[in-house]
Amino acid sequence: MKMTENKQWEPKIVAFCCNWCSYGGADTAGMGRFQQPASLRIIRVMCSGRIDPLHVFNAFLEGADAVLVTGCHLGDCHYVNGNYKTQVRYDFMEDMIKELGLEPERLHLSWISASEGEKFANFVREVTEQVRKLGPSPLKPEGVN
Amino acid sequence: MIEVGDKVIGYSTDPGVRNKGASGGLVTAILAAALEKGLVEEVVVLKHINEYEAIPIITSDVEDVLASAGSMHTVPVNLAKYAVGKNVAMPGKPCDIRGVIEQAKRNEVNIDNTYLIGLNCGGTMYPVQTQEMLINMYDIDPEDVKGENIEKGNLIFRTKSGEEKGISIDELEEAGYGRRVSCRYCDVKIPVNADLACGNWGVIGELSGNATFCEVMNEKGVRLLENAIDAGYIEIEPASEKAIAIREKVNNVMLSMGEKWSEKIFTEIPDGERTQYYMEQFADCINCGACKEVCPVCTCGEDSKCTMYHNLEDNYRMSMFHMVRLMHLSDSCIGCGQCTDVCPVDIPLTTIFRRFADKSQKKYNYKAGMTLERPPFLEVMPR
Repeated sequence: MKMTENKQWEPKIVAFCCNWCSYGGADTAGMGRFQQPASLRIIRVMCSGRIDPLHVFNAFLEGADAVLVTGCHLGDCHYVNGNYKTQVRYDFMEDMIKELGLEPERLHLSWISASEGEKFANFVREVTEQVRKLGPSPLKPEGVN
Repeated sequence: MIEVGDKVIGYSTDPGVRNKGASGGLVTAILAAALEKGLVEEVVVLKHINEYEAIPIITSDVEDVLASAGSMHTVPVNLAKYAVGKNVAMPGKPCDIRGVIEQAKRNEVNIDNTYLIGLNCGGTMYPVQTQEMLINMYDIDPEDVKGENIEKGNLIFRTKSGEEKGISIDELEEAGYGRRVSCRYCDVKIPVNADLACGNWGVIGELSGNATFCEVMNEKGVRLLENAIDAGYIEIEPASEKAIAIREKVNNVMLSMGEKWSEKIFTEIPDGERTQYYMEQFADCINCGACKEVCPVCTCGEDSKCTMYHNLEDNYRMSMFHMVRLMHLSDSCIGCGQCTDVCPVDIPLTTIFRRFADKSQKKYNYKAGMTLERPPFLEVMPR
């Protein structure tokens, strides 16, 4: 990957947040003024169960360096069991990412409730740090940084 | 009377069928009886073109069924999609049967009125490659061949003059001929997922070559067999202990051969090089969609998720189409090899898909197409 000399490469992270919990968590993180890197792009979905593996792979192919899947804590789903379905799909996605040869640190699953702003901020910080060490994703299209 | 779990040796009562069939014409007679006595409306069979080619047809004509008698190892077509939405009886290799069962899980096949007769399978071969092999390895004119058989690890061809010549499969495969790659590492040789598991393994003594070993797997199998006996189409006798042991032995030999091949084919690619490997393999893809079209597990139809991303303009590092399919099939791929067969740019698709599927299926202790158990990807609760 080519980088402009004076500009440091910054990871680009796509986070899928569920409307009821983790999006609220991201909001709380902002309201609580917790410092977090600007590497995050949030996509709000109504339920983490809505996240198709296809969305995740598309994010990678469009240039994301890491993808976060977040939702309500198990048992707290607004739609009864949407996050259990996410868990089933995530297990498959995780295996596939490993088999494709991508580092497992590029895909994360976390359950974050609306009140856990600090947890959200810490999570984003940790992932950004990990991805910064790994460098750009090998699936990143040419010409995207 | 017949019961589930019975192991019998049988043959057709009609001498014509008995001589034409590969081993006693049992399967042909059962299919004909099922059709004549109204157990099914139609039957899926192969229509011979020549010794190396045949096309699958759905027919309600008994003549077509009788004409299809005999085994063909050089017709690597999957019949699963021919059973969709019909009341049929269907003979098939283990992968054909696995395909039908996967279709049934996706509500495309009504499994209650689809009758499946499984045929033992040691592997299939490509028609063109086989003819080439006959000239180069066997020194036989392909036009001269009248039948073929896989026995004791040897591939045997019979000529019209009655001559037989056998060469060991290992030797052929070393030379680059022999079975298709997906057949070499296939791990289902006896179709225990069908209603009847038939084949010539375990037929010994004077009946050898003139009768079929048949195991009754479930109630539908009982119905099929009883129907044919009542109609007077077949004669059966219980299989001896020795016959059962020999069948088991042949199966084990074939399976261990498969294991050796799978070790050879699935040599692990190091972590760091895998992304590169898949990108290079899929880079050849011209997005024709043929692999999806022939896949016996796919049921989405034309407007499916994978074809939505079927666009070369996207210019992704890896084909989105294949990424969706890899995910979709990681728990349901049956390894039939159809996708590799049809790929116009020779991507080893089945091998790639099996790399993903083997891991997932082992992890969830699930083998696609063997039972009516729900695929783990469709489960609501994590296992």
